[in-house]
Amino acid sequence: MTENKPLYPAMISAVSQTLENMLFLEVMEHFDRSYEIPAEELVWNSLLINDPVQGETRLAMSKTTLKKLTGNIFGIDDDEITQAQMDDILNELLNTIVGLFMTNLLADDQEYKIGLPEQGEDELPEIDENTIVWKLMTSDEDSLQIFVSGASLVTLENT
Amino acid sequence: MKRIIIADDSTTARMFIKRCLQIIGLGDVEMIEAEHGKEALAAAKAQEVDLLLTDLNMPVMDGETLIKWVKASPKLGELPVIVITSAGNPAKEAQLLELGAHRVLNKPVSPPMMMDALADFMDD
Repeated sequence: MTENKPLYPAMISAVSQTLENMLFLEVMEHFDRSYEIPAEELVWNSLLINDPVQGETRLAMSKTTLKKLTGNIFGIDDDEITQAQMDDILNELLNTIVGLFMTNLLADDQEYKIGLPEQGEDELPEIDENTIVWKLMTSDEDSLQIFVSGASLVTLENT
Repeated sequence: MKRIIIADDSTTARMFIKRCLQIIGLGDVEMIEAEHGKEALAAAKAQEVDLLLTDLNMPVMDGETLIKWVKASPKLGELPVIVITSAGNPAKEAQLLELGAHRVLNKPVSPPMMMDALADFMDD
């Protein structure tokens, strides 16, 4: 993650705006850059960016965090929260973040097309040279991770 | 009583929109939820509706197709349509306005944004 490159502020701004508006939470970089969400707690989803660049974005957090965010958004107790509500919150968060990210990244006259969010299964895919990772933390100290991958998308980092 | 259709495949997004409408004083309006464009179109044809709020990226029938169907319908052609999307930018907004949308709002939508967009609707 390089702070002087275009993808970095575009994503930070997108996540901040989304969490502030939806959850009244601020977002900052995780104080522990080596932090990983425990595998047994991990939930994630993905969304494809189809045009004008091709790539994939993933949003990951712990089940505990997702349940907490779901309860806050719907205003319900833990025992009332359903898996469908949690899935829906994760999808809407990623959908909104990616839309703002692309708007921030591209010129005003440049259209883009994104897909529909899909729930991830098992472990997150391996991080390769065409993946950028944002390790973030909310003002409630809940961890979030965002992954952006795809050669043509990540190339924008060097434009 | 006024009726508003809220078309979005996300329960969360529909809940946020309803919450915004309640906050800006439209809690008494009948809100009809639809999970995609086809469901919204059927609801609009089945009863008198005053406003359609729609997302763009939806399964079965997307928001753009929904607007085209609404604007092509003799019965629904005058129905105000406001797009609430995470896939909007100035270029897309111009295209949607050309199609007949009255306003385009970017997610995450907030009560002030909704208040501004629905000012005409609320004055009636």
